[in-house]
Amino acid sequence: MTIRHLLGLYPDAERAANGADALRQAGVPQSSIEVLTDTPYPEGAFGEPPAQHRLFVFPFIGAACGFAVGLLLTAGTQLAYPMPTGGKPILSVPAMIIIMYEGTMLGAIIMTVLGIIFESRLPRARLGTYDPRISEGYVGVLVVDEDPVVGRAEQVFRQSGAEVIREREPED
Amino acid sequence: MSEIHVPHRHPTLLRLTSAAVRRELLDRVLAPAATPLLLGVFAALAIIGVIGLALRVAGGYENRVAWGYTAALLAWLFMTVHGAPLAAAGLRFVKADWRRPIVRIVELCTVGGLVTFPLFLLLLPTLPPRQGRANIWFDWPGAPGAYEAVAVLFLALTGLAMLALSARPDFAAARDAATGAARRRYAFLAGGWRGTPREWDVLRRGLVLLGALYIFALAFVQFLYPIDFGLSLIPGWISAIFPAFAMLTTLQCAAASTLIALYLWRRFGGLSDYLRLDHFWGLAKILLATSLLWFYFWWADFLTLWYGRKPPELAVLQLLVVGPYFVPFALAFLLSFVVPFGSLIWNRVRISIAGPVVVALSVLLGNFFNTVRIYVAAYSVAGMGGHALEQVPPAHPPDVIDAMIVVGVIGLIALLYTIASRVIPPVSIWEVNEGLMLRRPAHYLKGEYIVVGKPT
Amino acid sequence: MQERHVLTEREINRDLLGFSLTTPRNFWLAAIPLGLMVALMFSAVGYMIYWGIGVTGLNRPVMWGFMITNFVFWVGISHAGVMISAILRLSHAEWRRPITRAAEVLTVFALATAALFPLIHTGRPWRAIYWVFPYDFSRGIWPAVRSPLIWDPSAIFTYLTGSSLFVFVALIPDLAVARDNSVGWRRTFYGLLSLGYRGTTRQWRLQLLAGILLSALILPVFVSVHSIVSWDFGMSLVPAWHVTIFAPYFVIGAVHSGVSAVVALMVLLRWAFHLQAYLTPDHFDAIGRLLIAVGNTWFYFFWLDFFFALLAREPDEVAVWELRLFHWPYNVLFAIFLITAYFIPVPLWLFRRVRRSIPLMLLTSISVNIGMWLERFLIIIPGLQWKQPLTFNWFGYRPSIVEIILVTGSFALVAFGVLMFSKFFPIIPLFDIKEGQKLRHDLRIGHRQVPGVIRE
Repeated sequence: MTIRHLLGLYPDAERAANGADALRQAGVPQSSIEVLTDTPYPEGAFGEPPAQHRLFVFPFIGAACGFAVGLLLTAGTQLAYPMPTGGKPILSVPAMIIIMYEGTMLGAIIMTVLGIIFESRLPRARLGTYDPRISEGYVGVLVVDEDPVVGRAEQVFRQSGAEVIREREPED
Repeated sequence: MSEIHVPHRHPTLLRLTSAAVRRELLDRVLAPAATPLLLGVFAALAIIGVIGLALRVAGGYENRVAWGYTAALLAWLFMTVHGAPLAAAGLRFVKADWRRPIVRIVELCTVGGLVTFPLFLLLLPTLPPRQGRANIWFDWPGAPGAYEAVAVLFLALTGLAMLALSARPDFAAARDAATGAARRRYAFLAGGWRGTPREWDVLRRGLVLLGALYIFALAFVQFLYPIDFGLSLIPGWISAIFPAFAMLTTLQCAAASTLIALYLWRRFGGLSDYLRLDHFWGLAKILLATSLLWFYFWWADFLTLWYGRKPPELAVLQLLVVGPYFVPFALAFLLSFVVPFGSLIWNRVRISIAGPVVVALSVLLGNFFNTVRIYVAAYSVAGMGGHALEQVPPAHPPDVIDAMIVVGVIGLIALLYTIASRVIPPVSIWEVNEGLMLRRPAHYLKGEYIVVGKPT
Repeated sequence: MQERHVLTEREINRDLLGFSLTTPRNFWLAAIPLGLMVALMFSAVGYMIYWGIGVTGLNRPVMWGFMITNFVFWVGISHAGVMISAILRLSHAEWRRPITRAAEVLTVFALATAALFPLIHTGRPWRAIYWVFPYDFSRGIWPAVRSPLIWDPSAIFTYLTGSSLFVFVALIPDLAVARDNSVGWRRTFYGLLSLGYRGTTRQWRLQLLAGILLSALILPVFVSVHSIVSWDFGMSLVPAWHVTIFAPYFVIGAVHSGVSAVVALMVLLRWAFHLQAYLTPDHFDAIGRLLIAVGNTWFYFFWLDFFFALLAREPDEVAVWELRLFHWPYNVLFAIFLITAYFIPVPLWLFRRVRRSIPLMLLTSISVNIGMWLERFLIIIPGLQWKQPLTFNWFGYRPSIVEIILVTGSFALVAFGVLMFSKFFPIIPLFDIKEGQKLRHDLRIGHRQVPGVIRE
């Protein structure tokens, strides 16, 4: 069956939230509904469940990698060019800690940013079904599903006050 | 958007009405529950402490090292008992809305000033003459005793003034609800409070001013005491970061002791409606930040001395870090930094009640070991004068009297706190009721949230 | 606290994107002079590289002069972004919204400018590469990680990368708005940079989490950067540099100067982009309160630095302080430093009327930065100019015209960078402003309307 993309554009958040509610009541699965806004709204404002993600794993992985690189770099450079100083150990641990710390933090930050982009499902080569008016305060409710479901959604959009209804075939 | 009324599902919303708050909290002071066992235990501990101190005084002041643990205890009390009210002063400054149910619980700690000031006076004779050691007093007459005593007294009085001022509207509420002797007592304490706009204005400004004075007084005491009773007793130890580190550990212990107090009130004091997850969570964040700073301040100190490698600096590191006091140092490092950092970075621990409380206990213990390694080590240095520590003294273990003093002084403060909480409501009625006005449930689109009012 | 200016989304887009999507005449009025100054600065760099650092006033024993002073100063300014953005984000301060991006952008350009100075100070910048990067396989020589001068690049690289990514992540939603509001090459440009952002609820949730998570990650980096800069000095045995308080003292000094620089930037943005509706006296009042706390903490740490030099009574330390305090020209500079960095601005900020006066906030913030530049100068030059026992020739330090051009040019470079950024990207975060408006919900208490905000 064909997957259809249908966007209902509402002039304000109140009507969009009601529209999203009506979609769920009409049997459109939550996983098929996306709300597009130009502003972050408090979680659950459109009746959506909390987003599931693994963002918090990324900094830990990055930190571990950064720490390892820092350790290799500091230990490796000192062992590669040993400078005996006053009978002290070749590896100067307090000095190493500083660079290892910076490496750890750098790794954590880079991986976090990559995690944010990845978990946000970005980058996207095409915008898909979208309307630039969303950035002017309109709220878009997007339904991506099989034909009968999207048909029901279209009806709901009409009844709940969507000003514009746009459809796009996935291959567009 | 429409406002809705209780019941509301938001976890951080106090589900009580203003009248219920007033009734419940006034009942605690007008008809306090009988707690003979608790008071008896604290009184017994207090007696043990007083005996311990008497024995220590009877032993004389010649053997300075014998007073080391008492000096460490006082330093720890400055950080914990006097530190806790910082939570009230600081959170009022930043207008943190979640402070309301917890400010009085920590302000009550200021009664500890009735113990710390006499304890400080008892310790004064342990100081060697200032001549010959690095000291801050030049040749001022009466230094250091007179000046430091004034500073500690100022701290104690400022704290008590803050408590008395903050409790005034609640005393008035108790006056209006009480009869007979209690009414007369609370009428006296309320000092004619009627609640006019002018009185409220003076109260708010007064609390900010007293809070600022309290922070200033505590920072001043944490400047004088660590230098005179710690740093200056170790020849060659010149570390400008040390008073700042003392203040930082005070902030850390303030969060930790507040957490412990909240837990005890919640678990055993029947305040679970008021002390909720968001309070523990908020304090846990402060505890995590200050624990990271604990390491940072220690590291800045250690690294500078370690890199400098001047003989006097190495001798100080030998005494305080790697030598005879390595065990208390390692415990301090573990309990004040490793445990809080390693556990509070996890959401599951931080956003809970038991997690932050266990970590707070660890932090308080860790900082006790930290004061032991500094003050007992400083008191165990025999000779004064010179630019370097000539000989690193051995570790001085505690004796029975030290244990009696530590347990007894804490028991005495607990006794005073418990008595005070039977006279002064442990939760500030007026601040909680103000919060009920400024924190309301609200529907927004399809969700339930709260609206927090921020008056200018 | 917040003054209420309700604007529609379209108005916000028009106001805040206008400068990026069109080129008004005043852009050229600012860009051309600044560009010329930057060109002059790079000409001076070229001249210095061609003739060698003999064209500067550096001479034995003062081998660190204006360039290193300027390096420390700009690293300090770079602390503004994180201070404002991360701490205020973590504490949910509503007044952060209009200023976070400007502060973050200031961080990036100030840090990049700072990093330029030690490089050109070497005289042959390309040779600095083998101090830092382990590439010189042919001779088997590797960077000496024991040197604090190697720690610097690692910290600055981390901070620069982190803060640039921080800016980028928070910019993505606004780039999407710019994409939707532009045509032609601009649409392609913003379309590519916005990565296909559409503003789904999931993307917003992650955007908000990103703000918190990156803030929490970048804060420890921000503390480490200026600490490591301070250790360039503190790890040596130069009198008055080998001080344990240096790390936190540098960090808080950086925050003092950095936040003040943000105030100046806010005033300039308000004036240049007509942002009166976005940057209100309330915002200046709030940042003024923050500066009172920061300024006093900075002064306390300064006092500890000064005080412990006297406490130690080591002749070398005292000699440097004597040079700073009593010898021309340092005595006059020292007086100007203290007056402008602390005694003028901080007492003035205590008055609400001053905090809400935009011209006075501009003047006091500039005053702080004059003082803080001098502070770095007075830390570095007298410390080196102290007459060491084995110094066989001993000259004073007088900056050359080349160094003066480099220093003044650096201000132009940072200003030029921020200007060019704001030409291409919205300098005030659109989505943050819109969110702030959405979450506003005033409470009615009696006859009074109390500003409120919806919290999750």
